[in-house]
Amino acid sequence: MNAINRYELFVLEDGEKPVEIIEDTKIPNAVTIKIFKQDHTLASMVRSELLATPCVLFAGYKVPHPLEPAFVLKIQTDGSQPPVQVLENVCTSLIATFSKLADQFKREFSARELDIQVEEDPYGPVGTNSTSGAGVWGAGNRRDYLDF
Amino acid sequence: MSNPRVRIRNVQHDRVNFVLEGVDIGFANSLRRVVMADIPTVAIDIVEIETNTTVLADEFIAHRLGMIPLISTNCDEGMRYTRDCTCLSNCKYCSVVLYLDVSCQEGGTMDITSDHLQVVGYNSGYRFTSGPAYSDPASDGGEELSKRGDGFGNPVGKDDDSVPPVLITKIRKGQGLKLKCVARKGIAKEHAKWSPCSAVSFEYDPHNKLRHTSYWFESDERAEWPLSENAKEEEPPRDDMPFDFNAKPEKFYFEVETTGALSPKEVIMKVTTNSG
Repeated sequence: MNAINRYELFVLEDGEKPVEIIEDTKIPNAVTIKIFKQDHTLASMVRSELLATPCVLFAGYKVPHPLEPAFVLKIQTDGSQPPVQVLENVCTSLIATFSKLADQFKREFSARELDIQVEEDPYGPVGTNSTSGAGVWGAGNRRDYLDF
Repeated sequence: MSNPRVRIRNVQHDRVNFVLEGVDIGFANSLRRVVMADIPTVAIDIVEIETNTTVLADEFIAHRLGMIPLISTNCDEGMRYTRDCTCLSNCKYCSVVLYLDVSCQEGGTMDITSDHLQVVGYNSGYRFTSGPAYSDPASDGGEELSKRGDGFGNPVGKDDDSVPPVLITKIRKGQGLKLKCVARKGIAKEHAKWSPCSAVSFEYDPHNKLRHTSYWFESDERAEWPLSENAKEEEPPRDDMPFDFNAKPEKFYFEVETTGALSPKEVIMKVTTNSG
C-alpha cells in the first residue's frame, strides 16, 4: 500500500529538472549528463548517434540503479566542439530523422491503403488470412482454451 | 543525420510488416521499444464489484477485465491522464465508465464476454449503487471529446459478429456478475495492459553474418537452424567469405501486431511524429 505510483517512473515531478550537467574536471572536453525519468529507449538511441559523430572520442551510458528512473551519459569530444553542443546537435538530428521516418511511413501507408480494402472484404477479419497464422482462432471457431 | 528508408511488405487491419533501412541498430531498437511501451491507450483500471457469485474471485475478474482491449482511436489527444486532470476522481475527460450486469436464469453454462460491457454515456444518467458513473460533472471543458474516434472505449469488436469476444468467465443458473469499470488512459510502462501491441517481431541479419549470436547445434548448424522468411531479402554469405568485423546491421525487419485498440497505422504514425 506504500508503493509509489507507477507513472513516477516516466513522468517528471513538479519542478523536477529533466537534465543535470556535471562538467568533468579531470578529463578534457568531457561531460557527464544525468537525464531523469528516461530509460534505455532514449539512452541507447542517443549514444549510438553520438558514436556516429566524428568528433566524439567517447560516448557511453549506464542506468546506475534499476529502481531509479534515470540514466547517466558520458561524452568526450576531441575538442573541436564542446560535448554539450554535440549532444544538442545529435538530438536535433534524431528529431529530424524521426520526421523523415514519418514522411516515409505516410507515403508507404497511403500507397498501401487500397490493399487493405481489397483484402478485408473477401477474406474477412483477423486470422482468416493464411499469412497471419492465427486461423484457428478465427471467426468460425468460437472454441477457446477453456472448452477442452 | 541518417536517411531512413521504409518498405511496407504487408498491411492488414491488425498488423503491419515492414523493412527499415538506413538507420543504426540503436535507433531501430528504440523504435521497437516505443511501439511496445510508449503509446497511450485506454484500459480498464478500476473495477467496483457489486455482485459476484461466479466461481472466480473478484481480483481475478478485475485482472481479466483490465486486459480487454478497448477502442482507443486518437487516445493521445482525445483523453487526459487522470493524474493531469483537474477533477477529483473521474470525469468524462479522463475516464470512460463501463458497466456489466449479467445473470444466468436458465440451465446450462453461459459465457460472460467483453460484449456484455456497456459504455456509460456522460448524459445517460445511469447510477450505480455507489453513486453516479462520473463522479465529477466535468471539470473545465476541453476539446478532448470531439477528438475521439467512433466507439471510443468500447471493447474491440463489440458490434462486429465476425470478431469473437473476449471471454471473462462462465456462469451457471443462479450465478451473476454486476460491476462498474473505470477505464483510463495510460502507457505500457505503467502496466502492460496499456500496450497497443500484442506482439512486435524484430529481426536483423538473418544469415548471422555479423556473428551477433552463436547457434548451439547437435551436428549440423545449417540443418538445425532453418532460415527465416527474411533471409530471402539478403544475399546468403559464401563459405569462403572472410568475416567482416566492421560490418553493421543495415536492414531491420519488423512486424507490429496490434490488439485492435489502435490501428497499426496509428501506432506507427504516433511513434514517428511525437516520440520522446
